[in-house]
Amino acid sequence: MKWVVIGAHLLRDDIDTPAEPIAAGDLFLSGLPIPDEQPLGDRDLLLRVARVRAALLDRATFIAVRYGFAINTHEEAAAKCSPHLARWRENLERHRLEVEMTLKVVAAERVEPPHRRDFTSGGDYLKALHAATKAVQVDPKFREDAERLLANGRWQHRDNQSLELAALVARESVEKVKYEAIALKERFPHVPFLLSGPWPLEVFGE
Amino acid sequence: MPEDLEELSLLETLDHLLDRGVVIAGDAVISIGDVDLLYLGLNIVLANVDAIIRTGQK
Repeated sequence: MKWVVIGAHLLRDDIDTPAEPIAAGDLFLSGLPIPDEQPLGDRDLLLRVARVRAALLDRATFIAVRYGFAINTHEEAAAKCSPHLARWRENLERHRLEVEMTLKVVAAERVEPPHRRDFTSGGDYLKALHAATKAVQVDPKFREDAERLLANGRWQHRDNQSLELAALVARESVEKVKYEAIALKERFPHVPFLLSGPWPLEVFGE
Repeated sequence: MPEDLEELSLLETLDHLLDRGVVIAGDAVISIGDVDLLYLGLNIVLANVDAIIRTGQK
């Protein structure tokens, strides 16, 4: 038996079956038990973890652990997480009543990525790729309105044709934000975007 | 929910599951200056072996 770790939680009661609570210092990790031989890339497992993750978020806000962290013993999980626990506790207490929402926005202009055949140095190619991703911009007027919709958000450069704004939203305001996003769509019909959430603490978990 | 929205929702959910959240163990980022050059870790390959071999042969 091994466990796929889904998140870090403030309280033991924040975790419900089929996930199991795994003590890590004074926090708890949610672990989904699976057979040792089950590959983590299994499609059905991915979907199952996604469903459990959503159900856990319904109970209480938690810090999402990126998929792929699997452990063989509870002690192993506690040991690997120990450097992070103090910071996680602080974030979990501070954001207990909030969830993350994200706004993916297609860039005003696609930045052409560098072509690897144009480089003799792999390092130079990766630097150029990084620069192309960082150069992506969205319509400045849209950006202003998006930042009003999702206040105090963090922009993330994800690829060479889109940007993502992640922000914390009070749980009771999620529907209001979704409603206001419809008005944003009407004001900027030329800017393709996708508002999604609620999500656990992903960007704000760190 | 319309089928295309269901599909979008699933894609978005999987995107968040696979590409968001804190990274805990076995990871290292090798940087030069402020540019991350190599990312090591998360030993998951979400592809079948045939696809990987085909990619490798190109």
